[in-house]
Amino acid sequence: MSETIHISIDGKVVDAEPGNSILHTRLQGEEALTANIGCMGQGVCGSCRCLVRKAGERSAETRLACETVVEDGMQVSFIDYYLPEHLHRYRPHDLRDGWQALPQLQQTFPEISQCRHCSGCDRACPRHIPVQQGIALANSGQLQAAAALFDPCIMCNLCTLACPENIRPNHVGLYLRRAQAIQNLRPGDLLRRLEQQARGEMAINTQTDNTRSEV
Amino acid sequence: MSSAIHYLQALANLAAHDRPPLRPADLSRSALLAQYHPDNAGNASTLLQIGPSRGQPCHPRLAALLQSNALIDGFDLAGAEQRSTDVLVIGGGGAGAAAALTAARSGAEVMLASKLRLGDSNTVMAEGGIQAALAASDSPQQHFDDAMRGGHDAANPQLLAQMASDAPGVIRWLIELGMHFDLDEPLEDGGKLRYKQAGGCSQPRILCYRDYTGLEMMRVLRETVELDPAITLLNRCPVVELLSHEDGSCAGAVLYDLEYQRFIVVSARQTILATGGCGRLHLQGFPSSNHYGATADGLVLAYRIGTGLRDMDAFQYHPTGVAWPQRLRGGLISEAARSGGALLVNGLGERFVEELAPRDVVTAAILRECAAGRGIERDGQLGVFLDTRPLGANLASRLPALQHLADKCGIDPCSEPMLIYPTLHYQNGGVIIDGNGQTSVPGLLCAGEITGGIHGRNRLMGNALLDILAFGRRAGRQAARLAQAARHKSTLPPQRGGIEHVYRWQRQLALAGLDSSLQAPLLYPGQARLALHRPTSPHA
Ligand SMILES: Cc1cc2nc3c(=O)[nH]c(=O)nc-3n(C[C@H](O)[C@H](O)[C@H](O)COP(=O)(O)OP(=O)(O)OC[C@H]3O[C@@H](n4cnc5c(N)ncnc54)[C@H](O)[C@@H]3O)c2cc1C
Ligand code: SF4
Ligand code: SF4
Ligand code: FES
Repeated sequence: MSETIHISIDGKVVDAEPGNSILHTRLQGEEALTANIGCMGQGVCGSCRCLVRKAGERSAETRLACETVVEDGMQVSFIDYYLPEHLHRYRPHDLRDGWQALPQLQQTFPEISQCRHCSGCDRACPRHIPVQQGIALANSGQLQAAAALFDPCIMCNLCTLACPENIRPNHVGLYLRRAQAIQNLRPGDLLRRLEQQARGEMAINTQTDNTRSEV
Repeated sequence: MSSAIHYLQALANLAAHDRPPLRPADLSRSALLAQYHPDNAGNASTLLQIGPSRGQPCHPRLAALLQSNALIDGFDLAGAEQRSTDVLVIGGGGAGAAAALTAARSGAEVMLASKLRLGDSNTVMAEGGIQAALAASDSPQQHFDDAMRGGHDAANPQLLAQMASDAPGVIRWLIELGMHFDLDEPLEDGGKLRYKQAGGCSQPRILCYRDYTGLEMMRVLRETVELDPAITLLNRCPVVELLSHEDGSCAGAVLYDLEYQRFIVVSARQTILATGGCGRLHLQGFPSSNHYGATADGLVLAYRIGTGLRDMDAFQYHPTGVAWPQRLRGGLISEAARSGGALLVNGLGERFVEELAPRDVVTAAILRECAAGRGIERDGQLGVFLDTRPLGANLASRLPALQHLADKCGIDPCSEPMLIYPTLHYQNGGVIIDGNGQTSVPGLLCAGEITGGIHGRNRLMGNALLDILAFGRRAGRQAARLAQAARHKSTLPPQRGGIEHVYRWQRQLALAGLDSSLQAPLLYPGQARLALHRPTSPHA
């Protein structure tokens, strides 16, 4: 391809090839990339978070740089990832008792009742998850439904950054999803196999003749 | 480019059949591999000249890195920050997380250092699933047999048997941490896990969560690590060299803290390398499905300090990487697509290989079609079709990651085929370990894709996710055990090591007449190199 366009990344104007993603444009630059990059285009690691403002537009949007194709005049600013001081600590063990689910959720994430329905989280989410609704469901005790909404979440933490109440919505979602698996998932086939192994029935003979069959 | 059939013509040829016919095989599988697999190309192997595996075959690009000079010298360590821990885990993928969690659970104080952020790894990208023999008609023995055959009988039988036996326990552990799996018959008596068929397996054995198993696994593992008070997490702190004691044992590692641009010397009683593979080296000029950090760093450091390597000339080129559009080139289309019924079709509209033959065979077959002019060309990109139409209308809900990828390609997978070409996917060989992840260097353990011997010379789908957790946990447990034994002997913090092994290595380089200006590990791929900050004066 021929014509080159220009975008600005973290304040620097760079050449970009139409059709390329923001991330790949940045990769061709002169500085070694040591952050905000992971899966490079699969869109699952959530590390390439950035703010994007298109030419002529007033507002900026949060995007994944690896999934966003460059446009002439685009302004891009990458958002670093850091661990906040304030973690909501819990252990898998704490999630075992389903009868305590609601009080425990409120104890671990005391801020969820403060949601002011500003929908900052919804606007931030590159996966278009209805985050605010997830928090509302969680508040009302509909934990399964809330958990289900966060199924495709890539933990990019953009909703957490957006939330003025420090709710960390994606972590609430993950907490609820984990609780669900920990409490409910007891596949019969797995139980049986574990029990057979405990009885010593499933040992492997490494001496079997395994000559490859030529097809 | 060799000649190829134009995309539009190929589409017309595809449309001519309801279900494309399978062309009878005229080459045996071994002949196909010998002639067309990238590992067997004339320029794909050289012999290592120094180090414990001297004389063994290795890919030349990797050999150059393995036989290179260190990034640092003793001077760099003089003013570095000093820290110490029982167990130092290096690498923040599935193997590193499993090792750290298990070591912490076994009572050790743990530090986990990762080059990128914890979780940014190949593990989070895994789509297809994880093997575990759970069906009534299945057994760990059959799992073992399939993997042994798939790996061309080259696996270490003990390691492979441990992996297959660990599988049910690994799945239970994941569920206990809060990972979900897809169920068949969810209402029946606790449900039964859904099994998918993998290439080269005697029966369906892949457990999955949709087609983002790795994402589901890694978000649970990452959260557990981040919230564990016994684990100190160091993000963006790549290891640049290991540390050794006078007796040759491993004493910890030197990290480079990117945030503050300075070195950190971590003295550890036990060190676990879990830095993954080397896909980003683009061996043989292939595109890669791997994450940005897969640059063989751990492999280089382990070799320099004295571990043996094996099968460093055996790589997995996944058959179905994206070939068009160019900006997504190399991205993976999971084997789940073929497992669900998608077909491989050449430019003439023929199927040319059984879709679920072992991966190396399918890859060789695709490269053969392209070499013979039966490939398909679209906007300068070469490949063959993956006909996803047989997957049916519920594709979007069953395989959301595939649908997402197709959307990015601008293709409707229910009505159009995708253009695919093999992509460098997995490092079959690696560091030699025992059943607990221990290497021949005391104090150093390895787990995950960095290791060799578990899969032989070709890994089956779903066995990597199993291997990294089975051996990640084993290594974590063993490291904690050894660290505690050492702590019983002396309660003083672990002794600080040095880089004597680097000086020894430099002498070997010189004796062999090798170029010592080349430095490794690479740390970051791409055209721009990272310059490690070196404080030259107090005012710098
Ligand atoms: C797209 C894709 C799909 C896959 N699908 C499947 C599947 O369905 N089933 C399956 O079984 N397998 C699959 N695999 C293979 C499997 O995902 C990997 O083999 C496995 O996840 C490797 O795990 P690991 O922990 O060893 O390494 P990784 O997960 O790659 O983690 C390596 C870690 O080490 C860190 N690191 C690297 N260098 C340094 C350094 N110098 N210092 C500090 N840290 C460092 C990296 O940042 C990263 O955190 C897939 C792989 C890919 C790429
Ligand atoms: S819910 Fe939050 S963390 Fe998850 S994808 Fe959306 S913005 Fe990212
Ligand atoms: S950003 Fe926070 S406060 Fe606003 S709607 Fe979302 S959860 Fe509620
Ligand atoms: S690099 Fe992983 S989401 Fe963009």
